[in-house]
Amino acid sequence: MKKIGIALEGLQKRFGAQEVLRGVSLEIPAGEVTVIIGRSGTGKSVLLKHVMGLMRPDAGIIRVSGQDITRLRDAELRRERFRFGMVFQNAALFDSMNVFDNVAFPLREHSKLSEAQIRLRVEAMLASVGLKDAGKKQANELSGGMRKRVGVARAMVRGPEFLLYDEPTTGLDPIMTAQIDALIRDTQDANPGLTSLVISHDMAATFRIADKIAMLHEGRVILEGTAETFRETDDPRVRQFVEGRLEGPIQ
Amino acid sequence: MNPISRLGAGIISVVEGVGRYVSFLLRAVRGGLLPPYRVRSLFKQMHFVGVESLLIVLVTGVFTGMVFAVQANIGFSRFGAESLIGAIVTLSLTRELAPVLTALMVNGRVGSAMAAELGTMRVTEQIDALDSMAVDAHQYLAAPRILAATLMVPALTMVFNAVGVLGCWYVAVKQLSVTPGAFQARIEWWVDPDDLLGGMLKSAVFGLLLSSVGCYKGFTTSGGAEGVGRATTTAVVISGVLILTSDYFMTLILAPLSIG
Repeated sequence: MKKIGIALEGLQKRFGAQEVLRGVSLEIPAGEVTVIIGRSGTGKSVLLKHVMGLMRPDAGIIRVSGQDITRLRDAELRRERFRFGMVFQNAALFDSMNVFDNVAFPLREHSKLSEAQIRLRVEAMLASVGLKDAGKKQANELSGGMRKRVGVARAMVRGPEFLLYDEPTTGLDPIMTAQIDALIRDTQDANPGLTSLVISHDMAATFRIADKIAMLHEGRVILEGTAETFRETDDPRVRQFVEGRLEGPIQ
Repeated sequence: MNPISRLGAGIISVVEGVGRYVSFLLRAVRGGLLPPYRVRSLFKQMHFVGVESLLIVLVTGVFTGMVFAVQANIGFSRFGAESLIGAIVTLSLTRELAPVLTALMVNGRVGSAMAAELGTMRVTEQIDALDSMAVDAHQYLAAPRILAATLMVPALTMVFNAVGVLGCWYVAVKQLSVTPGAFQARIEWWVDPDDLLGGMLKSAVFGLLLSSVGCYKGFTTSGGAEGVGRATTTAVVISGVLILTSDYFMTLILAPLSIG
Protein backbone atom coordinates (compact mmCIF):
# COMPACT_ATOMS: atom_id res chain seq x y z
CA MET A 1 0.00 0.00 0.00
CA LYS A 2 1.46 3.34 -1.07
CA LYS A 3 1.62 6.24 1.34
CA ILE A 4 -0.92 8.93 0.48
CA GLY A 5 0.47 12.45 0.19
CA ILE A 6 -2.69 14.39 -0.57
CA ALA A 7 -6.23 13.04 -0.57
CA LEU A 8 -9.18 14.91 -2.05
CA GLU A 9 -12.64 13.75 -0.99
CA GLY A 10 -15.77 15.00 -2.75
CA LEU A 11 -14.36 18.45 -3.47
CA GLN A 12 -16.94 20.95 -4.73
CA LYS A 13 -16.55 24.55 -5.80
CA ARG A 14 -18.81 26.91 -7.68
CA PHE A 15 -18.32 30.48 -8.89
CA GLY A 16 -21.73 32.10 -9.17
CA ALA A 17 -23.82 29.85 -11.39
CA GLN A 18 -20.79 27.98 -12.69
CA GLU A 19 -20.06 24.65 -11.03
CA VAL A 20 -16.33 24.12 -11.50
CA LEU A 21 -15.61 21.16 -9.24
CA ARG A 22 -18.49 18.68 -8.82
CA GLY A 23 -17.15 16.24 -6.29
CA VAL A 24 -13.50 15.54 -7.07
CA SER A 25 -12.07 12.56 -5.22
CA LEU A 26 -8.46 11.62 -5.81
CA GLU A 27 -5.51 10.19 -3.93
CA ILE A 28 -2.08 11.57 -4.72
CA PRO A 29 0.59 9.11 -3.64
CA ALA A 30 3.60 10.44 -1.72
CA GLY A 31 7.00 10.34 -3.40
CA GLU A 32 5.66 10.19 -6.97
CA VAL A 33 4.73 12.41 -9.87
CA THR A 34 0.98 12.62 -10.36
CA VAL A 35 -0.32 14.40 -13.45
CA ILE A 36 -3.86 15.73 -13.68
CA ILE A 37 -4.95 16.14 -17.28
CA GLY A 38 -8.03 17.65 -18.80
CA ARG A 39 -9.18 20.29 -21.23
CA SER A 40 -8.62 23.96 -20.55
CA GLY A 41 -11.38 25.31 -18.32
CA THR A 42 -12.20 22.03 -16.60
CA GLY A 43 -11.08 23.35 -13.23
CA LYS A 44 -7.51 22.02 -13.10
CA SER A 45 -5.99 25.28 -11.91
CA VAL A 46 -8.84 25.78 -9.43
CA LEU A 47 -8.08 22.32 -8.07
CA LEU A 48 -4.42 23.24 -7.65
CA LYS A 49 -5.32 26.41 -5.76
CA HIS A 50 -7.44 24.32 -3.39
CA VAL A 51 -4.58 21.96 -2.72
CA MET A 52 -2.35 24.92 -1.83
CA GLY A 53 -5.02 26.38 0.41
CA LEU A 54 -5.30 29.52 -1.74
CA MET A 55 -9.01 28.77 -2.19
CA ARG A 56 -11.47 27.10 0.13
CA PRO A 57 -13.92 24.49 -1.21
CA ASP A 58 -17.69 24.79 -0.86
CA ALA A 59 -17.79 21.17 0.24
CA GLY A 60 -15.39 18.28 0.57
CA ILE A 61 -12.13 17.54 2.34
CA ILE A 62 -8.48 18.02 1.43
CA ARG A 63 -6.09 15.93 3.50
CA VAL A 64 -2.42 16.78 3.38
CA SER A 65 -0.44 13.99 5.06
CA GLY A 66 -3.68 12.96 6.72
CA GLN A 67 -4.63 16.40 8.09
CA ASP A 68 -7.77 18.13 6.80
CA ILE A 69 -6.62 21.60 5.71
CA THR A 70 -10.08 22.91 4.86
CA ARG A 71 -10.81 23.45 8.55
CA LEU A 72 -7.64 25.39 9.31
CA ARG A 73 -7.67 29.07 10.20
CA ASP A 74 -5.95 31.54 7.86
CA ALA A 75 -2.79 31.73 9.99
CA GLU A 76 -2.53 27.95 10.24
CA LEU A 77 -3.19 27.63 6.54
CA ARG A 78 -0.35 30.07 5.85
CA ARG A 79 1.99 27.90 7.90
CA GLU A 80 0.75 24.86 6.00
CA ARG A 81 1.88 26.59 2.80
CA PHE A 82 5.50 26.30 3.91
CA ARG A 83 5.26 22.63 2.96
CA PHE A 84 4.43 23.51 -0.65
CA GLY A 85 6.28 24.92 -3.58
CA MET A 86 4.47 26.10 -6.66
CA VAL A 87 5.70 26.57 -10.22
CA PHE A 88 3.34 28.94 -12.01
CA GLN A 89 2.28 28.70 -15.63
CA ASN A 90 4.41 31.63 -16.76
CA ALA A 91 6.76 31.21 -13.81
CA ALA A 92 5.44 34.40 -12.12
CA LEU A 93 8.95 35.60 -11.37
CA PHE A 94 9.20 38.98 -9.64
CA ASP A 95 10.32 41.22 -12.46
CA SER A 96 11.61 43.87 -10.10
CA MET A 97 14.35 41.44 -9.03
CA ASN A 98 17.14 39.51 -10.69
CA VAL A 99 17.22 35.72 -10.88
CA PHE A 100 19.30 35.31 -7.72
CA ASP A 101 16.98 37.50 -5.63
CA ASN A 102 13.95 35.66 -6.98
CA VAL A 103 15.29 32.32 -5.82
CA ALA A 104 16.57 33.78 -2.55
CA PHE A 105 13.23 35.46 -1.80
CA PRO A 106 11.53 32.58 0.09
CA LEU A 107 14.66 32.09 2.21
CA ARG A 108 15.01 35.77 3.03
CA GLU A 109 11.34 35.90 3.99
CA HIS A 110 11.07 32.77 6.05
CA SER A 111 14.43 31.49 7.22
CA LYS A 112 17.06 32.70 9.64
CA LEU A 113 19.91 31.76 7.32
CA SER A 114 22.75 34.24 6.94
CA GLU A 115 23.27 35.92 3.59
CA ALA A 116 26.32 33.67 3.00
CA GLN A 117 24.29 30.52 3.65
CA ILE A 118 21.52 31.82 1.39
CA ARG A 119 24.10 32.44 -1.35
CA LEU A 120 25.34 28.84 -1.14
CA ARG A 121 21.83 27.42 -1.19
CA VAL A 122 20.63 29.58 -4.08
CA GLU A 123 23.71 28.85 -6.16
CA ALA A 124 23.25 25.13 -5.59
CA MET A 125 19.58 25.41 -6.61
CA LEU A 126 20.43 27.36 -9.76
CA ALA A 127 23.08 24.81 -10.67
CA SER A 128 20.61 21.97 -10.20
CA VAL A 129 18.24 23.51 -12.78
CA GLY A 130 21.12 24.19 -15.17
CA LEU A 131 21.36 27.96 -14.66
CA LYS A 132 24.62 28.26 -12.81
CA ASP A 133 25.68 31.64 -14.14
CA ALA A 134 22.31 33.29 -14.66
CA GLY A 135 21.95 34.77 -11.16
CA LYS A 136 22.59 38.37 -12.18
CA LYS A 137 20.18 38.34 -15.11
CA GLN A 138 16.95 40.30 -14.75
CA ALA A 139 13.80 38.14 -14.84
CA ASN A 140 12.52 39.83 -18.01
CA GLU A 141 15.73 38.99 -19.93
CA LEU A 142 15.05 35.26 -19.73
CA SER A 143 13.52 32.94 -22.32
CA GLY A 144 10.35 31.03 -21.47
CA GLY A 145 12.23 27.85 -20.65
CA MET A 146 14.73 29.65 -18.43
CA ARG A 147 11.92 31.39 -16.56
CA LYS A 148 10.36 27.99 -15.81
CA ARG A 149 13.69 26.72 -14.53
CA VAL A 150 14.05 29.68 -12.22
CA GLY A 151 10.46 29.05 -11.13
CA VAL A 152 11.38 25.47 -10.22
CA ALA A 153 14.48 26.64 -8.35
CA ARG A 154 12.45 29.21 -6.40
CA ALA A 155 9.76 26.64 -5.55
CA MET A 156 12.35 24.07 -4.42
CA VAL A 157 14.71 26.33 -2.51
CA ARG A 158 13.14 25.77 0.89
CA GLY A 159 12.94 22.03 0.38
CA PRO A 160 9.16 21.62 0.21
CA GLU A 161 7.35 18.30 0.69
CA PHE A 162 4.98 19.01 -2.18
CA LEU A 163 5.80 20.60 -5.50
CA LEU A 164 2.93 21.77 -7.69
CA TYR A 165 3.27 22.68 -11.35
CA ASP A 166 0.61 24.64 -13.23
CA GLU A 167 0.91 23.73 -16.93
CA PRO A 168 4.72 23.71 -16.85
CA THR A 169 5.27 23.28 -20.58
CA THR A 170 2.58 25.52 -22.05
CA GLY A 171 4.06 27.89 -24.61
CA LEU A 172 7.44 26.18 -24.91
CA ASP A 173 9.00 24.69 -28.03
CA PRO A 174 9.21 20.85 -28.21
CA ILE A 175 12.87 20.67 -27.19
CA MET A 176 12.36 23.03 -24.28
CA THR A 177 9.28 21.00 -23.33
CA ALA A 178 11.39 17.85 -23.22
CA GLN A 179 13.97 19.65 -21.07
CA ILE A 180 11.38 20.81 -18.57
CA ASP A 181 9.86 17.31 -18.47
CA ALA A 182 13.29 15.93 -17.71
CA LEU A 183 13.73 18.57 -15.02
CA ILE A 184 10.45 17.58 -13.36
CA ARG A 185 11.45 13.93 -13.45
CA ASP A 186 15.01 14.62 -12.24
CA THR A 187 13.80 16.87 -9.44
CA GLN A 188 11.48 14.09 -8.29
CA ASP A 189 14.12 11.37 -8.55
CA ALA A 190 16.72 13.46 -6.71
CA ASN A 191 14.29 14.12 -3.83
CA PRO A 192 12.64 10.84 -2.81
CA GLY A 193 10.59 12.55 -0.11
CA LEU A 194 9.02 14.94 -2.60
CA THR A 195 5.49 14.60 -3.93
CA SER A 196 4.94 16.27 -7.31
CA LEU A 197 1.56 17.25 -8.70
CA VAL A 198 1.45 18.48 -12.29
CA ILE A 199 -1.46 20.04 -14.15
CA SER A 200 -1.16 19.51 -17.88
CA HIS A 201 -2.93 19.03 -21.15
CA ASP A 202 0.16 17.82 -22.96
CA MET A 203 -0.30 14.05 -23.37
CA ALA A 204 3.20 13.24 -24.66
CA ALA A 205 4.74 15.04 -21.68
CA THR A 206 2.33 13.33 -19.31
CA PHE A 207 3.32 9.87 -20.48
CA ARG A 208 6.99 10.79 -20.08
CA ILE A 209 6.86 12.02 -16.51
CA ALA A 210 3.85 10.55 -14.72
CA ASP A 211 3.79 7.76 -12.17
CA LYS A 212 0.06 8.30 -11.88
CA ILE A 213 -2.40 10.08 -14.17
CA ALA A 214 -5.90 11.33 -13.44
CA MET A 215 -8.24 12.89 -15.95
CA LEU A 216 -10.56 15.69 -14.91
CA HIS A 217 -13.67 16.21 -17.02
CA GLU A 218 -16.67 18.40 -16.22
CA GLY A 219 -15.58 18.81 -12.62
CA ARG A 220 -15.03 15.12 -11.86
CA VAL A 221 -12.20 12.61 -12.11
CA ILE A 222 -13.29 10.21 -14.86
CA LEU A 223 -10.21 7.97 -14.92
CA GLU A 224 -7.12 7.48 -12.79
CA GLY A 225 -4.25 5.06 -13.09
CA THR A 226 -0.88 4.56 -14.71
CA ALA A 227 0.11 5.43 -18.26
CA GLU A 228 -0.89 1.84 -19.18
CA THR A 229 -4.42 2.42 -17.86
CA PHE A 230 -4.72 5.45 -20.11
CA ARG A 231 -3.33 3.74 -23.19
CA GLU A 232 -5.67 0.78 -22.80
CA THR A 233 -8.92 2.37 -21.64
CA ASP A 234 -12.11 2.10 -23.72
CA ASP A 235 -13.64 5.29 -22.30
CA PRO A 236 -14.35 7.30 -25.47
CA ARG A 237 -13.84 10.64 -23.65
CA VAL A 238 -10.36 9.66 -22.49
CA ARG A 239 -9.48 8.14 -25.85
CA GLN A 240 -10.51 11.32 -27.65
CA PHE A 241 -8.38 13.47 -25.32
CA VAL A 242 -5.34 11.18 -25.37
CA GLU A 243 -5.40 10.89 -29.15
CA GLY A 244 -6.30 14.55 -29.64
CA ARG A 245 -9.19 13.90 -32.04
CA LEU A 246 -11.76 16.48 -33.12
CA GLU A 247 -14.73 14.06 -33.24
CA GLY A 248 -15.94 12.33 -30.12
CA PRO A 249 -18.06 12.79 -27.02
CA ILE A 250 -16.13 15.90 -25.88
CA GLN A 251 -17.18 18.90 -27.92
CA MET B 1 -33.92 44.20 -16.77
CA ASN B 2 -36.29 46.99 -15.74
CA PRO B 3 -34.88 50.37 -14.74
CA ILE B 4 -35.55 49.90 -11.02
CA SER B 5 -33.74 46.60 -10.72
CA ARG B 6 -30.94 48.03 -12.82
CA LEU B 7 -30.67 50.94 -10.38
CA GLY B 8 -30.74 48.51 -7.47
CA ALA B 9 -28.05 46.32 -9.03
CA GLY B 10 -25.94 49.43 -9.60
CA ILE B 11 -26.26 50.53 -5.98
CA ILE B 12 -25.46 47.04 -4.71
CA SER B 13 -22.33 46.85 -6.83
CA VAL B 14 -21.16 50.27 -5.61
CA VAL B 15 -21.75 49.30 -1.97
CA GLU B 16 -19.95 45.99 -2.51
CA GLY B 17 -17.06 47.79 -4.15
CA VAL B 18 -16.74 50.22 -1.24
CA GLY B 19 -16.88 47.32 1.20
CA ARG B 20 -14.14 45.45 -0.62
CA TYR B 21 -12.01 48.60 -0.79
CA VAL B 22 -12.39 49.25 2.95
CA SER B 23 -11.53 45.68 3.87
CA PHE B 24 -8.52 45.90 1.53
CA LEU B 25 -7.41 49.10 3.25
CA LEU B 26 -7.82 47.57 6.71
CA ARG B 27 -5.74 44.54 5.72
CA ALA B 28 -3.03 46.82 4.35
CA VAL B 29 -3.03 48.97 7.50
CA ARG B 30 -2.90 45.90 9.72
CA GLY B 31 -0.08 44.56 7.56
CA GLY B 32 1.81 47.81 8.05
CA LEU B 33 1.41 47.70 11.82
CA LEU B 34 2.52 44.10 12.31
CA PRO B 35 6.09 42.87 11.81
CA PRO B 36 8.04 42.19 9.67
CA TYR B 37 8.39 45.90 8.85
CA ARG B 38 9.24 46.55 5.23
CA VAL B 39 11.61 49.45 5.84
CA ARG B 40 13.63 49.08 2.63
CA SER B 41 10.50 48.88 0.60
CA LEU B 42 9.09 51.93 2.43
CA PHE B 43 12.17 54.03 1.63
CA LYS B 44 12.10 52.91 -1.98
CA GLN B 45 8.46 53.99 -2.27
CA MET B 46 9.12 57.27 -0.43
CA HIS B 47 11.83 57.99 -2.96
CA PHE B 48 9.47 57.14 -5.80
CA VAL B 49 6.53 59.16 -4.44
CA GLY B 50 8.50 62.05 -2.95
CA VAL B 51 11.86 62.65 -4.55
CA GLU B 52 10.79 61.70 -8.06
CA SER B 53 7.73 63.97 -7.88
CA LEU B 54 9.80 66.95 -6.80
CA LEU B 55 10.30 68.48 -10.22
CA ILE B 56 6.64 68.54 -11.23
CA VAL B 57 5.68 69.91 -7.81
CA LEU B 58 8.33 72.65 -8.08
CA VAL B 59 7.18 73.70 -11.53
CA THR B 60 3.45 73.61 -10.77
CA GLY B 61 4.03 75.33 -7.42
CA VAL B 62 5.99 78.26 -8.83
CA PHE B 63 3.57 78.89 -11.64
CA THR B 64 0.50 78.55 -9.42
CA GLY B 65 1.94 81.18 -7.05
CA MET B 66 2.79 83.43 -9.98
CA VAL B 67 -0.55 83.22 -11.74
CA PHE B 68 -2.41 83.78 -8.50
CA ALA B 69 -0.38 86.90 -7.82
CA VAL B 70 -1.32 88.22 -11.25
CA GLN B 71 -5.01 87.40 -10.72
CA ALA B 72 -5.11 88.82 -7.20
CA ASN B 73 -3.52 92.01 -8.46
CA ILE B 74 -6.40 92.49 -10.90
CA GLY B 75 -8.87 92.57 -8.02
CA PHE B 76 -6.84 94.34 -5.34
CA SER B 77 -5.43 97.08 -7.60
CA ARG B 78 -9.00 98.37 -8.08
CA PHE B 79 -9.03 99.62 -4.50
CA GLY B 80 -5.32 100.04 -3.89
CA ALA B 81 -4.82 96.96 -1.73
CA GLU B 82 -1.95 95.41 -3.71
CA SER B 83 0.02 94.88 -0.50
CA LEU B 84 -2.48 92.12 0.40
CA ILE B 85 -1.51 90.00 -2.64
CA GLY B 86 1.06 88.00 -0.68
CA ALA B 87 -1.31 87.29 2.20
CA ILE B 88 -4.26 86.20 0.07
CA VAL B 89 -2.13 84.00 -2.17
CA THR B 90 -0.40 82.41 0.83
CA LEU B 91 -3.74 81.76 2.49
CA SER B 92 -5.18 80.16 -0.63
CA LEU B 93 -2.05 78.12 -1.16
CA THR B 94 -1.68 76.75 2.34
CA ARG B 95 -5.35 76.04 2.93
CA GLU B 96 -6.46 74.81 -0.46
CA LEU B 97 -4.35 75.04 -3.56
CA ALA B 98 -1.16 73.37 -2.44
CA PRO B 99 -2.79 70.26 -0.90
CA VAL B 100 -5.24 69.76 -3.77
CA LEU B 101 -2.94 70.52 -6.69
CA THR B 102 -0.07 68.51 -5.21
CA ALA B 103 -2.38 65.55 -4.64
CA LEU B 104 -3.77 65.76 -8.18
CA MET B 105 -0.27 65.92 -9.69
CA VAL B 106 0.98 63.05 -7.53
CA ASN B 107 -2.15 61.08 -8.35
CA GLY B 108 -1.43 61.37 -12.05
CA ARG B 109 2.12 60.16 -11.56
CA VAL B 110 1.98 57.79 -8.59
CA GLY B 111 -1.61 56.53 -8.31
CA SER B 112 -1.53 55.41 -11.92
CA ALA B 113 1.91 53.81 -11.57
CA MET B 114 0.82 51.85 -8.50
CA ALA B 115 -2.31 50.56 -10.23
CA ALA B 116 -0.32 49.61 -13.33
CA GLU B 117 2.53 47.93 -11.46
CA LEU B 118 0.38 45.93 -9.06
CA GLY B 119 -2.14 45.19 -11.82
CA THR B 120 0.64 43.71 -13.94
CA MET B 121 1.81 41.69 -10.95
CA ARG B 122 -1.74 40.41 -10.50
CA VAL B 123 -2.27 39.31 -14.10
CA THR B 124 1.17 37.69 -14.31
CA GLU B 125 0.40 35.75 -11.09
CA GLN B 126 3.19 37.45 -9.11
CA ILE B 127 0.73 38.27 -6.33
CA ASP B 128 -0.45 34.64 -6.30
CA ALA B 129 3.21 33.64 -6.11
CA LEU B 130 3.59 35.76 -2.95
CA ASP B 131 0.53 34.04 -1.48
CA SER B 132 1.93 30.64 -2.39
CA MET B 133 5.15 31.52 -0.54
CA ALA B 134 3.13 32.49 2.54
CA VAL B 135 4.01 36.18 2.14
CA ASP B 136 1.14 38.57 2.86
CA ALA B 137 0.86 40.59 -0.35
CA HIS B 138 -1.10 43.32 1.45
CA GLN B 139 1.77 43.76 3.83
CA TYR B 140 4.54 43.31 1.30
CA LEU B 141 3.15 45.42 -1.55
CA ALA B 142 0.31 47.66 -0.38
CA ALA B 143 1.38 48.81 3.09
CA PRO B 144 4.71 50.45 2.13
CA ARG B 145 3.12 52.23 -0.83
CA ILE B 146 0.21 53.61 1.18
CA LEU B 147 2.41 54.70 4.07
CA ALA B 148 4.93 56.30 1.72
CA ALA B 149 2.26 58.36 -0.03
CA THR B 150 0.61 59.35 3.27
CA LEU B 151 3.96 60.73 4.46
CA MET B 152 5.28 62.19 1.24
CA VAL B 153 2.24 64.02 -0.13
CA PRO B 154 2.26 66.39 2.91
CA ALA B 155 6.00 66.88 2.43
CA LEU B 156 5.49 67.72 -1.24
CA THR B 157 2.66 70.04 -0.24
CA MET B 158 5.10 71.96 1.97
CA VAL B 159 7.43 72.28 -1.01
CA PHE B 160 4.51 73.49 -3.12
CA ASN B 161 3.68 76.10 -0.44
CA ALA B 162 7.25 77.34 -0.29
CA VAL B 163 7.84 77.71 -4.02
CA GLY B 164 4.31 79.00 -4.55
CA VAL B 165 4.95 81.87 -2.14
CA LEU B 166 8.30 82.51 -3.83
CA GLY B 167 6.60 82.68 -7.23
CA CYS B 168 4.04 85.06 -5.81
CA TRP B 169 6.80 87.19 -4.24
CA TYR B 170 8.58 87.42 -7.59
CA VAL B 171 5.48 88.69 -9.38
CA ALA B 172 4.31 91.01 -6.57
CA VAL B 173 7.67 92.53 -5.66
CA LYS B 174 9.67 92.35 -8.88
CA GLN B 175 6.97 92.90 -11.48
CA LEU B 176 4.29 94.78 -9.60
CA SER B 177 4.85 97.54 -7.09
CA VAL B 178 4.54 95.78 -3.71
CA THR B 179 7.44 96.50 -1.35
CA PRO B 180 9.21 93.47 0.17
CA GLY B 181 8.47 94.70 3.70
CA ALA B 182 4.72 95.06 3.09
CA PHE B 183 4.60 91.70 1.33
CA GLN B 184 6.13 89.93 4.32
CA ALA B 185 4.31 91.91 7.01
CA ARG B 186 0.90 91.19 5.51
CA ILE B 187 1.63 87.45 5.35
CA GLU B 188 2.77 87.44 8.96
CA TRP B 189 -0.35 89.34 9.98
CA TRP B 190 -2.93 87.26 8.13
CA VAL B 191 -1.55 83.73 7.89
CA ASP B 192 -1.47 81.44 10.95
CA PRO B 193 0.39 78.16 11.52
CA ASP B 194 -3.09 76.58 11.75
CA ASP B 195 -3.64 77.37 8.08
CA LEU B 196 -0.59 75.29 7.26
CA LEU B 197 -1.58 72.52 9.64
CA GLY B 198 -5.02 72.10 8.12
CA GLY B 199 -3.49 71.85 4.65
CA MET B 200 -1.04 69.23 5.89
CA LEU B 201 -3.83 67.12 7.41
CA LYS B 202 -5.79 67.23 4.20
CA SER B 203 -2.81 66.32 2.09
CA ALA B 204 -2.05 63.30 4.28
CA VAL B 205 -5.61 62.07 3.67
CA PHE B 206 -5.21 62.73 -0.06
CA GLY B 207 -2.00 60.69 -0.06
CA LEU B 208 -3.74 57.84 1.72
CA LEU B 209 -6.66 57.96 -0.73
CA LEU B 210 -4.73 58.11 -3.97
CA SER B 211 -2.29 55.35 -2.99
CA SER B 212 -4.85 53.00 -1.48
CA VAL B 213 -7.18 53.36 -4.47
CA GLY B 214 -4.24 52.80 -6.82
CA CYS B 215 -3.15 49.69 -4.91
CA TYR B 216 -6.72 48.39 -4.61
CA LYS B 217 -7.34 48.78 -8.33
CA GLY B 218 -4.05 47.01 -9.02
CA PHE B 219 -4.83 44.14 -6.67
CA THR B 220 -8.27 43.60 -8.21
CA THR B 221 -7.14 43.76 -11.83
CA SER B 222 -8.27 41.01 -14.17
CA GLY B 223 -8.22 40.50 -17.90
CA GLY B 224 -4.64 40.86 -19.10
CA ALA B 225 -3.09 43.99 -20.59
CA GLU B 226 -6.48 45.55 -21.27
CA GLY B 227 -7.44 45.01 -17.64
CA VAL B 228 -4.27 46.74 -16.46
CA GLY B 229 -5.08 49.73 -18.67
CA ARG B 230 -8.61 49.88 -17.32
CA ALA B 231 -7.46 49.59 -13.72
CA THR B 232 -4.96 52.42 -14.21
CA THR B 233 -7.49 54.79 -15.71
CA THR B 234 -10.21 54.08 -13.15
CA ALA B 235 -7.73 54.45 -10.29
CA VAL B 236 -6.74 57.95 -11.43
CA VAL B 237 -10.32 59.04 -12.07
CA ILE B 238 -11.71 57.68 -8.80
CA SER B 239 -8.85 59.17 -6.76
CA GLY B 240 -9.23 62.54 -8.51
CA VAL B 241 -12.92 62.67 -7.69
CA LEU B 242 -12.31 61.48 -4.11
CA ILE B 243 -9.62 64.13 -3.55
CA LEU B 244 -11.93 66.95 -4.60
CA THR B 245 -15.05 65.71 -2.81
CA SER B 246 -13.29 64.73 0.41
CA ASP B 247 -11.59 68.15 0.36
CA TYR B 248 -14.96 69.86 0.70
CA PHE B 249 -16.08 67.67 3.57
CA MET B 250 -12.76 67.89 5.39
CA THR B 251 -12.88 71.67 5.10
CA LEU B 252 -16.37 71.65 6.62
CA ILE B 253 -15.09 69.57 9.53
CA LEU B 254 -11.81 71.40 10.04
CA ALA B 255 -13.05 74.98 9.65
CA PRO B 256 -15.00 75.12 12.96
CA LEU B 257 -11.89 73.82 14.70
CA SER B 258 -10.18 76.94 13.29
CA ILE B 259 -7.81 74.80 11.23
CA GLY B 260 -7.98 73.86 7.55
